Amino acid sequence: MEITTSDLGLAARVQHLTKSYGAGAAGVRALDDISVGIRRGQFTAIMGPSGSGKSTLMHIMAGLDAPTEGRAWIGDTEITGLNDLELTILRRRRVGFIFQAFNLVPTLDALGNILLPFELDGRRPSVIEKARIDGLVERLGLASRLNHRPHELSGGQQQRVAIARALATAPDLVFADEPTGNLDSRSGREVLQLLASASREHGQSIAMVTHDAIAASHADRVLFLGDGRITADHPQQSAEQIAAYMLAAEVAA
Amino acid sequence: MTAVASGTAIGTVVPETAATRPRLAWLRERGMGASVLVAALAAAFGVFLVEVTAYIGAVLQADPFIGDSETLAIVVIILSVLLTGVAMYVAAVVTANTFSTIITGRTRRIALMRLIGASARSQRAEVTGQGFVVGVIGAAIGLVVGLALSGLGMLIGQSLMPSVPESVTLAQPGIALPVIGVALTTWLAAYIGSRRVLTVTPLQALGGSVERTRDEVADRRGKHVGALVLLLIGAALLAAGVVIGLITPLGVIVAFFGGVFSFTGIVTGAALFMPPVLRLVGRLFGKGATARLAAENALRYPERSSRMAIGVVMGVALVTMFAVALESSKALMMRQTDDVPSDFFAPMDAFANIMMVLVAVSAVIAAVGLVNLLTIGVVQRRRELGLLRAIGLTGAQVRRMVLLEAVHITVAATLTGLVLGVVYGWIAAQSLLGAVPVLPSFEPAGFVYPAVPWMPVAAIVVATALLTVIAAVTPTRLATRVAPVEALAAD
Repeated sequence: MEITTSDLGLAARVQHLTKSYGAGAAGVRALDDISVGIRRGQFTAIMGPSGSGKSTLMHIMAGLDAPTEGRAWIGDTEITGLNDLELTILRRRRVGFIFQAFNLVPTLDALGNILLPFELDGRRPSVIEKARIDGLVERLGLASRLNHRPHELSGGQQQRVAIARALATAPDLVFADEPTGNLDSRSGREVLQLLASASREHGQSIAMVTHDAIAASHADRVLFLGDGRITADHPQQSAEQIAAYMLAAEVAA
Repeated sequence: MTAVASGTAIGTVVPETAATRPRLAWLRERGMGASVLVAALAAAFGVFLVEVTAYIGAVLQADPFIGDSETLAIVVIILSVLLTGVAMYVAAVVTANTFSTIITGRTRRIALMRLIGASARSQRAEVTGQGFVVGVIGAAIGLVVGLALSGLGMLIGQSLMPSVPESVTLAQPGIALPVIGVALTTWLAAYIGSRRVLTVTPLQALGGSVERTRDEVADRRGKHVGALVLLLIGAALLAAGVVIGLITPLGVIVAFFGGVFSFTGIVTGAALFMPPVLRLVGRLFGKGATARLAAENALRYPERSSRMAIGVVMGVALVTMFAVALESSKALMMRQTDDVPSDFFAPMDAFANIMMVLVAVSAVIAAVGLVNLLTIGVVQRRRELGLLRAIGLTGAQVRRMVLLEAVHITVAATLTGLVLGVVYGWIAAQSLLGAVPVLPSFEPAGFVYPAVPWMPVAAIVVATALLTVIAAVTPTRLATRVAPVEALAAD
């Protein structure tokens, strides 16, 4: 019997993952035999310079892209080998997404966007889910904005709506891709604090891809990628420590 | 970002200028080919009608019985001019709409050119120039196709009727009119459709802003005043036509101008009249996620959707109008005499059928516009579709959403067209026949009951349903090909 992801205390994991683009001399190996797990209930930052493979890793872990070789799990479900429909339904029910920008459907208001994962599933939120959504709206300060459309919201407010949508289904894992990349520093800090508290106070597992040392300093754990491999795995660090490590890696390269 | 993501981003960011690309590369841009097709259809139709008119004129002259009567020949000429005019009008609306949509997709590039130092006017002139090239190419293709069709038709005509005079040739000077007309209206349509270029600011090149969900219609209310005035004048004339029609059949002439004015008002004010209809139809779809997304999409650019719908409205309304006018007249004549010989209505039916087929050409042009705009709409929404796929919209749901968008437009357009067609058709019959004496007392008919023939209506519904499915094929295929990863691609 194989050891399951939850036995390991993980929300998601990948094993011997390789992703190559093209073939032969022109080929690029974006991920090179990576094995790593995202711990349950933790806020994990995935860092690395452009081209390090951090986004590719996230796409595969979230069921958005298929690896060339290796296996990936979300919870105890192996997602490598699932077809498009199965992956879509898995994402809908068990994965939350926060992107850098264009997070929201412009034709739906804030509430419509938050409820979208339920509606795509053809159902209404249960009583428990409804209570969770109400709590999220309260915590994220969105109560007065629920009927606004995305273009009527500030960048920070849009990101908070995206966070509410990502957390509403209580997914196994929330993926955040440079969630503060388009925000001013104050709104960015707010968003990071909200993510950190979602993980600390509500046990939400979060994986955040970023190249911003300050953003990563909010996380419980920082994974560094370089040239398609994990180069370091640190517990929570200060922005200075993270920046120093990145600078050293850059100089060494 | 990864190699894939940056690969897709670069294509949209690097500006293409006259210096860096082949001269006519823009013709391959999505929407241009369809605009050429639209221009070609209108031109071919116009050329064909000129030839047919000349042919019928020659045949009539050669006929020993009707020979001297010029009235019939003039009626045929008037009908040809009207039909060509409608086709060219629909083509122009479709082209203006297409260009306006193409420019929305080019915003980033235009903004970058503005940032580098190009003036808004030079950018617009570039688009207008492209419209001229599209018009000329389309008109040329239309000329060739129209001549080929006419030649074929003439051969068939000669084999059926031995009495055709030898003097008939394809070299009619009149064919220059639709050809030059289509080239010019396409040019004009591109100019009108490119107005949006002037609103692009250099800052938009820097991105990061959230897409606006609505056209700014509010500040252009003034534009609709003209449409409303036309509509009011038209409605007054229509009412006058009906009243005069109770005394003399000449009422139909007054009503005709009322129809022209009011219909032009409705078409030019489409952005005012269509959105409420679209909203109503959207509600019929229910509350499901895909249905709601589709309904909202159709209203995202109310002007674009309205103009997209109005071409179909024109086609459906004109066909319905002929059918209802004829059926109402037939119903009245049935009242007039007790026994009507069964083949009495045959020439009328034949005339109505020919008119319906000819009007349907405009509907086909409108359909090309619909396909085109739906496709561009999907292409320009790749990112949003990627987002929806990422958060859980399945491929089947994407397909349903895009199909529903097409259904939304065609259902709204067909309903509007049917209602307008019944009203216009009834007014035509009423204003023409209100004074005709009927049995049993031979008093004027007074109220002419509107009669709706079900066959043409059923044919229209089937045809628009077919149109919807065909219109949705390409956009659906493109939409389902969007990968969820595209939502994550950075600029």
